[in-house]
Amino acid sequence: MTDAYRNPCQKISVLQHAPSAHLPTRPGDPTPTSRNLDPLQHPFARARERMRALNAAKMERIFAKPFVAALEGHVDAVETMARKPDSLDMVASGSWDGGLILHDISRRTKVLHVENAHKGKVTGICFADSDRLLSCGVDRNIKLWSIRPSEEDMDEDRAGPSTSRKPLKVFPGKSAFNSIDHHRSDPLFATASNMVQIWDETKSAAISNLTFPTSTETINAVRFNLSESSVLASIGSDRTFTLYDIRTGKAERRIVMQMQSNSLAWSPTFPTTILLASEDHNLYTFDIRALKTPTQIYKAHVAAVMSCDWAPTGTELVSGSWDRTVRVWREGAGTQPEVYHTKRMQRVMATLYTADARFVLSGSDDGNVRIWKAHASEKLGVVTARERAAIEYRESLKQRWKMDKEVDRVQRSRHIPRPVYKASQLKRTMLEARRVKEEHRRKHTRAGETKPKAARKKIVIAEQT
Amino acid sequence: MDALIAKADAIRPVTKKRRIHQNESQKKSGTSRPGPSDDRTLGSVSLHTALPKSLRPTSPPPENVPKYGHIQDKKLRAQLTRQSTQSARSKALVKDAELLLTEEAGLMEVEGDVEKTWRIGQNEIVQAAGQEAAQGRKEWKLDGGPYRSRYTRNGRHLAIVGRKGHVATFDWQTGTMHAELQLRETCRDITFLHDHSHFAVAQQKYVYIYDRDGVELHQLKSHIEPTRLEFLPYHWLLASVGNAGYLKYQDTSTGQLLVEHRTKLGAPSAMTQNAHNAVIHLGHANGTVTLWTPNLPHPAVRLLAHLGPVASVSVDPSTAGRYMSTAGQDGLVKVWDCRNWKGAVRTWNARGGGGEVEWSQRGALAVASGGSVNVYTKPSIQTPLAATVSPPLYLTHPIPHRPLTSLRFCPFHDVLTVGHNAGLSSIIVPGSGEPNFDSAEADPFENKRARREREVKGLLDKIQPDMIALDPEFVGSLAPEPKLTTAVGGEPDVPFARLPRLERLRVQGKADEKEDGDEGLVDDDDDDDEAAKKRPTKEEKEKKKMRGKNKTLKRYLRKQRKNVIDPRALAVRAKLEKQREERRKARAAAAGHAEDRKPSALDRFGRSAP
Repeated sequence: MTDAYRNPCQKISVLQHAPSAHLPTRPGDPTPTSRNLDPLQHPFARARERMRALNAAKMERIFAKPFVAALEGHVDAVETMARKPDSLDMVASGSWDGGLILHDISRRTKVLHVENAHKGKVTGICFADSDRLLSCGVDRNIKLWSIRPSEEDMDEDRAGPSTSRKPLKVFPGKSAFNSIDHHRSDPLFATASNMVQIWDETKSAAISNLTFPTSTETINAVRFNLSESSVLASIGSDRTFTLYDIRTGKAERRIVMQMQSNSLAWSPTFPTTILLASEDHNLYTFDIRALKTPTQIYKAHVAAVMSCDWAPTGTELVSGSWDRTVRVWREGAGTQPEVYHTKRMQRVMATLYTADARFVLSGSDDGNVRIWKAHASEKLGVVTARERAAIEYRESLKQRWKMDKEVDRVQRSRHIPRPVYKASQLKRTMLEARRVKEEHRRKHTRAGETKPKAARKKIVIAEQT
Repeated sequence: MDALIAKADAIRPVTKKRRIHQNESQKKSGTSRPGPSDDRTLGSVSLHTALPKSLRPTSPPPENVPKYGHIQDKKLRAQLTRQSTQSARSKALVKDAELLLTEEAGLMEVEGDVEKTWRIGQNEIVQAAGQEAAQGRKEWKLDGGPYRSRYTRNGRHLAIVGRKGHVATFDWQTGTMHAELQLRETCRDITFLHDHSHFAVAQQKYVYIYDRDGVELHQLKSHIEPTRLEFLPYHWLLASVGNAGYLKYQDTSTGQLLVEHRTKLGAPSAMTQNAHNAVIHLGHANGTVTLWTPNLPHPAVRLLAHLGPVASVSVDPSTAGRYMSTAGQDGLVKVWDCRNWKGAVRTWNARGGGGEVEWSQRGALAVASGGSVNVYTKPSIQTPLAATVSPPLYLTHPIPHRPLTSLRFCPFHDVLTVGHNAGLSSIIVPGSGEPNFDSAEADPFENKRARREREVKGLLDKIQPDMIALDPEFVGSLAPEPKLTTAVGGEPDVPFARLPRLERLRVQGKADEKEDGDEGLVDDDDDDDEAAKKRPTKEEKEKKKMRGKNKTLKRYLRKQRKNVIDPRALAVRAKLEKQREERRKARAAAAGHAEDRKPSALDRFGRSAP
C-alpha cells in the first residue's frame, strides 16, 4: 500500500497486494496462505460442510472392508478360542474334531497343531501361564500342554503339525467338560460339567465341587472375575446365571432368566459388569450388584448368540451368532452394531478380541478362524500426520452432521445377507404385533388390571441367594 | 465377593443411575470432594488422563450460554452445553481473528466541503497509486465491439468478448494471453467456469465451452440463441437465458442439462446471480425482475421494477445479497431491499438512460449510463429516501465510446472494467475491492498445483442444485414440524407401540418441545411470564388465523395495498376501523367495566344532575 499526498487536502490510496507476501520466497517453499474468516468470504459454508460430511460418511462405507484373513487348519467347527495373556498375536483355538491349534495371527501361521488333543470335541481352552495351555473336552479329560516348540519341531523350517506331542499332564474327570477357565494368579482352574469343579494344577483330582443347592443343571460356561479373582460366574442349561466364591466354596447368587445363555464374559474395565450371550437373540450386560435388571440389552441378532467377548478397552463388544454374522457393539449402545459376514462363514461359535482391540477373531462352523478389523473402515498400516488429521476431521464432520437425514442414512446402511435381512424384518413384525396385541388386550380389560412391563424387567424371572 | 462389590461401588459408573445405595451417595455428596489420596487408583489415573495445560481452554467460559436445565439426561445435557460453549467461544475467537487481516482497503478522501472526491480524475489516482496498483488503469482499443468482460473468482484472469466474435482470455496482471479467438459470429456473453481453465461463450446459436487454450470442447445445443450466461461456482451450474425466454441450467461436472424454466416473459435483457444464495435474477423487457431457483418451475419472486425494459440487474455481495440494484430503459436506477420488496429503497435518475449497474465486493455501486461511469458508495445508496435524488457521487469517469455495455469490478482489486463500443477500459476505483482474500476460497496468487487441488476439492464439495433456495441458511436448521400427525389431541388412533418415537414421547408427556436454549437466554421468571403471555400458543395461532368478520373487505384491502390514496379503500378502511371499535366496546361491556362516556350536550336533560 502506498499513499501519495500530491494534493494536501486529498488522500488517495489504492489497494495492491505485495507479491512478496503471497508468493514463496524460494522455489520449493510452501505457498503462503492467507485467511479471512468473514462469513461473506465463505458463501454456502454450511451447505458445503454438509456435503463434506456426506462424503465423509460415504467414504467410511466405501472403505469398510473388515475382513483381513482366514486361518485354516481345523477340520470341523471351531468351538472355542482363547488369547495368550501377555502377547498380542497368540491365539489358541479348539475344534469339534478334537484338534488344538495355536495361531500366530500376525504371521498367520500355526505355532502348534495338536491333531488329536481330545477324542471328540475340544470344548474349552485357556492359558495356564505364558507357556502352558489347558484344554478340556467331551472325552472327560483335561489336558495341560506345553506350547514351547519341542525338539522335533525345531528341525522343520516352520512349526507344522506335531501330532506326536504329548500333554504334560492329564486330569481325568467323571463327566464331559463344557468349559474351562484358569485362575488369574493361583495354580487353580475351574471346569464346567454337570457342576463347577475347582482343580489344582498339582493334584490330579478336583479339590472342590461347587453347586447351587437346588440345581440339577449342566453348566455351559464358567469364568473367573478379572479383578476379584476368587469370584466365579457360570451359566447353566436351566437358564441360570450363578456366582460363586471359591474361598467360601459356595454359590453366592443365582438368577433364572427367560432363556438360556450360551456364553459369558466379564468386563475388563468394570469388574462387576458381566456380559451374557443369550439364546433369545440378545446380549445382556448385568451389574452383579443389581441382578434384577440388565443394565443394557443388545438387540440385533436374529438367531441365538453363541459367543461374546469384550474388547480389552471395555468400550466395545463382539458377539457371534447362529445367524452366521459377527456383530461389533459399542458398550452401552444396544442397537445398530457393525455387522460382519461372508458367504462362506457358517454359524459363529467363538469370537474373540485381540489384545490390542484392533482386531476381532471369529471361529465358525466351517472350521476357519477369521480375522476382522474391529473398526471396519480403519486403515491398516502407517498413517501419516496429514492423513490422521483428515481422518479426524472426517470423524468430527460425521459426528456434527449425524442428525442430517442423508448422512444418517449413509452411516446406518449395512449390507446384510438376505436371509438375515428377511429374518430381522419378520422378527420386527412379530415383536411389534405382539406389543400391539398386548396393548389392545390392556385396552379392553379393566383399567389398571395389567401394567406394561419394561423390556428390561422381563428378562430375569427369579433371583436367588 | 463383598470386597468386589465394595470396590466397584467406589468407582461406580457416573452415567448409570442406580437406586440402590442411594443414601450412601447422598452422604458422599455432602462431604467435600475426595482428594487424590482417597483412592490410589483414581489418583494415579487422573494424573495421566487430565487434559494437558496447553490444551486447556485459557479464556473464561463465555457468558450467555444456555444451560439446558430442562434436559434430564446428564450426558446429553453435558454434550449440548459443551457444544454451545464451544460455538460461543469460536464466535468470540472469530472476532479476534480480525487482527490477522493485514491488508488495508483502498480509499479516497478529501477535506472540506468544497472539495469533492468525484472531482479527482483517473490521472490523479494513477499518480497517487503504487506501481502495482497503477497497472489497473488500462485501455484496450479493440474493433468489433461493443465488448463484455468477466473476471475469474480470484480476480486474476479476464475474459472479454466482442459482439462481432472476438474472444480473448488473459491474465490481466502479467499480460499473459491464454486464448484469442475470432469466432466470426455474434457473441453475446462470456463467462469463466470454475476457474480460468474453461470458459463458456454465448454465440449466435448455441453456447460453446472452450478450454484455456481456446480449444472448443463442447457445443451445448440445448442452449439456443443465448443472450446471457452465469456460472454458479459452488453448484457447478452454467445458467443461460436465451431469446426465447428459457432459463436453462447445465451441470458442468456431469454434463447433463439439469432443468429448463420457461419464463414466459420474452427475451430477458439482464441476468445476474446472487453469489450468496445462487439465485438467478432476470430482468425482462416488460420491466419485471424475476428470481429463479432450479427447483421451482416459477419464479421465487416476481417484481415490477421499471416501467420500461430492465437494462441491468446487480446484487450487492457486501451485504450477503441483501440489496439489489436495477437500471431500466426508463432512465431510472433503483436499489431494492431483497428482504422486503415493497418499493425501492432508493431511486434516482441516471442521465442517458438504459445503463449498466454493478456492485463491488465492498459495496460500491457503479452505474454506467450515457457516456460516463458513476460510482456511488455504501451508506447513502442503502438508506431509504423517497425523493428521486441521486446519492452523493464518489467517482465519475467519462467514456466517449457509447454504448457502455458491461461493467465488472475485479475481485480483490480496486479496478472496474468497462466494456464499450471501442474496446474496454479499466479504471481505478479506490476502496472497491476486498483487501483480504482467503486462499481457501479464491487466491489470486495460486499456482498450478493449488488450482488443481481447488478443482478437486470444489468437485467434492459440490452442492446439489436442489439445495438452492432464497435462504441459504436453511441447511442444518430444524425442519418445520410436519402438519399431519397421527396423534390428534393426545389421542392417537394408532397403537402406542406403532407410534414414532417423538409421538410416543409426546403421548407420555416426556417430549421436550422447547427450542434449544430457549429458556437459557431468559434468566428471570417474571420476564418469562410476560413472554409466555405475549406469545400465543400454537392452538391460539391456528384459531386466529384468517378468522373474523368481513373477510372479503379485508381481502379487498389487501389487494389494494399500494401507495395510492384511493377514496374507496379509505372508506373501507374507516368502516373496518369502526367495526373493530364497536367490537372492542362490546367486549369491554361484556367484561363488566362500563365505558365512561364523554359528557354530551343532552346530559343536562337527564334525571340526575351530572
